[in-house]
Amino acid sequence: MKRHLTVEDLARDGRFVRVNFEDRMSDPRNLGGPGAYGRDAAEQADDEDRTSRRGLGRMTPEAANAPDAARSLMHGIFVGEIQALEGAGRTCYDFDLGEGPDEVPYALKLDMARQCWDEARHCEISVKLTEWMGTEVGEFSESPFLFQAACNPDALLRLAGVNRALEGLAIDVFNTMRDFGDKSGDPVLEFCEDWMLADEVTHVKMGSDWLRKLTVNDPERRARALEFQSVVDKLFSLGGGRADEEDSPIRLARRFRQMAGFTDDEIDTIAGLSREARQEAEDLVASHRAAAGS
Amino acid sequence: MPDPKKPRAPFAPWDRRELPGSFTVEETARRVGHYKWVEMRLFEVLGGWVATVPELDVKMRFGTHCYKHAWHSELWHKRLPELREMNPDRLTLPANDAMVEFMEALTAPEGEDKTLEKLVGVYRVLIPRKIAAYTYHRNNTSTITDAPTIRSLDFALHDEFEDWRDGEMLIQSLIESDEDVRRAADHQAKLESIMVRAGGIAGPGSIGTAEVPTVAEAHA
Repeated sequence: MKRHLTVEDLARDGRFVRVNFEDRMSDPRNLGGPGAYGRDAAEQADDEDRTSRRGLGRMTPEAANAPDAARSLMHGIFVGEIQALEGAGRTCYDFDLGEGPDEVPYALKLDMARQCWDEARHCEISVKLTEWMGTEVGEFSESPFLFQAACNPDALLRLAGVNRALEGLAIDVFNTMRDFGDKSGDPVLEFCEDWMLADEVTHVKMGSDWLRKLTVNDPERRARALEFQSVVDKLFSLGGGRADEEDSPIRLARRFRQMAGFTDDEIDTIAGLSREARQEAEDLVASHRAAAGS
Repeated sequence: MPDPKKPRAPFAPWDRRELPGSFTVEETARRVGHYKWVEMRLFEVLGGWVATVPELDVKMRFGTHCYKHAWHSELWHKRLPELREMNPDRLTLPANDAMVEFMEALTAPEGEDKTLEKLVGVYRVLIPRKIAAYTYHRNNTSTITDAPTIRSLDFALHDEFEDWRDGEMLIQSLIESDEDVRRAADHQAKLESIMVRAGGIAGPGSIGTAEVPTVAEAHA
């Protein structure tokens, strides 16, 4: 079996519909714009006047589109868990044991195997939650960008991409979904998200600990890994949708990130990257709308 | 109230554990090193296969089983220094060249249309061989001096039986035609032949021998 798979190698059954990142991010239903799931005519008309692409704002149970937005997010969590499972599994296989740049320690592989089990459970939990919330596998598309962005052939960069950036995003998403479960009176959703959140804090902490251990005598390598992580973090800020602001659809979960080994400075940096991404996305939408109107 | 000073036997009447066992410290360390090598190769390949199988149930089972074998490898890794092997890597070895060949053949199926072969290799060949070698070891080692190995073998065997059942049922659910039956049988036969040459996961003697020694051998 070959090492280092590409996104095209990820095997799926016939229900899955794969879209690329650009299509996913420009789908108006994901932007809360016209045609967004469950939005009524008045809300859609209001969207036409907005220059911000982030009309959806924070997901609240009172919003007319909340059930469909939550179902869409749950499906996104499910496919994200599959990719996280695949990423952890590949780290068990793709690298030889050792201390070289293309090698990993035995104990790191054991941690990745443990993560495999956790992610497999998360797939089980999230596929059951999709049913619980009234959707099914394949109703929404899958963008393989999590695997694509995080699964670097360099072991340390992969660790930074998967265990710090991807799993860090998972902390933010699960925290958001747990709050939504609480506010919408869905104890099953809240219960499951809280359990998955506990696992994700563990995974990010694994990444934080390994990053420190593997680069203890190599600050240059650590800097490269952190730089890669910041690139992935910006990508995973979902056009500023995952941010520190009160109205962010997915809010940075500062307390849980601290538990997982992020420093306040690192969290501030991610918040800054999200603000940049938000501004870039809003500028892009504004320019598209201006072009369409001219 | 019972008299606390009344003498009692050191072993309760229902405790039938005995001192004699078939394995020396060195032989136990050798076997444990081979077990660790096999468990490592197995968790690595199961982790690697997760991304290559389209069937959701198989994908999630591989992810779960991957961890169990990693944990078994860790149990053996921690046991080695207790058996006077202070460098666990030194004994983390395949039993012989045929075992290397076996693991390479087991790992070879890669495409998304090879799920049946992947399952057959693990659940119809390797795991039954692991159950056999672990059971032989468990039943022949000293139940008093080697209790820590027995405890680890019991944990591992519990997982192996559970996973074997999972894997076998997945195989049965995927076999739908005569052609599928042939595919499964052909792959099993190919791997089984290599395993026979290896003599089992710990090499010849993995499950002891059922042969009766000749009179001359018995008196040698």
